Amino acid sequence: MENGLAQKLVQALREAGINFITYLPETRLSQILPLLRADPSVQLVPVASEAEGITIAAGAVLGGKQAACYLESTGLYVSSYSLVTMGKQLGVPILLVVGFLGGFGDRRNSFLYATIGNRTIPHLKGLGIEYTVLEDGEKLSVKVKDAVRTMNALRAPVALLFAGEFTL
Amino acid sequence: MIRHECLELLAPLITDHLVVTSQSGQRIEWSHLSKHEGNLLVGMMGCALGVGMGLALALPHRRVVVLESDGSILLSLFNLVTLANLHPQNLTVFVFDNQVYSGTRISEPTATAGKTDLEAMARGAGLEQAVTVRYLDGFRQEATAALTATKLCFIVCRVEESGIHREIPRPTVDLAENKYRFVRHVERTEGKPNPFVGRG
Repeated sequence: MENGLAQKLVQALREAGINFITYLPETRLSQILPLLRADPSVQLVPVASEAEGITIAAGAVLGGKQAACYLESTGLYVSSYSLVTMGKQLGVPILLVVGFLGGFGDRRNSFLYATIGNRTIPHLKGLGIEYTVLEDGEKLSVKVKDAVRTMNALRAPVALLFAGEFTL
Repeated sequence: MIRHECLELLAPLITDHLVVTSQSGQRIEWSHLSKHEGNLLVGMMGCALGVGMGLALALPHRRVVVLESDGSILLSLFNLVTLANLHPQNLTVFVFDNQVYSGTRISEPTATAGKTDLEAMARGAGLEQAVTVRYLDGFRQEATAALTATKLCFIVCRVEESGIHREIPRPTVDLAENKYRFVRHVERTEGKPNPFVGRG
């Protein structure tokens, strides 16, 4: 992704009130990491599994933070148990910032990712998690704010799947 | 030493702490022994330590206490390495290791009934301060210090299996009710609203 788009995404997260982000590094959106690291308004928390990316974010939300979990879409499979239990059953809103690899919009798609990617949306539907796919930076700030408002209203995780220009 | 004895000793020592329990017999025993509004009775295995870490990071001036079990820790071993590296100074973790998956009618051995040593695993993950207690006097000493400490504490409590959680009343407060009570307690004691509740 172009550096300008990464800056736009980090700015959008900040404007939506996100102030706590757990993450397991991945490639598609990786340009946001140094920007987040340099942002004193965001507490950035590295994790060893997306499953704990969700539980740690959930704890932060219950402690008063507005939290996101940044993960690759494969991490949605890894974290499914945490998403269902902490996210859906307990009802804790967490913004899922997902590098959507393997989908139609993945500009780096290959045989390594396609099988995983084409099950991502059915998987989210199975988990009952609302989502939207973002292909470019148009109205990005509004879309991130919409997602945060929705997750707080639902008291549940909501996913932003970043594809298209975000995967370059 | 059995878990219930430890929890009985622990309950009156809780003051302004936030307490997170994993899903296991200890959730039932703790809810019976403690009516503290800062109790979050997590109803899922493998989640309490993660939630406790998140709380401790979000509220670095509060002491957070996590009551874990061997089965629950074994389900989320990645928590150990993350905890060691994040190293929140305001977190106390008790792992009640009874060496069994002890449900309402099962008693099946966990890995710690075999060759696995949770203290050694914690140390290997980078939690050099991890200790194991086997007797109530040792538990009293470690617990009293750990509740007022200014450092990360990780205490494996090697307990004998007991069936008390099968005999005492189960909590009647459901998960959502407990969550809101906990969040309201945090709001009240922190003096600021939580962003996701109260917008009607």
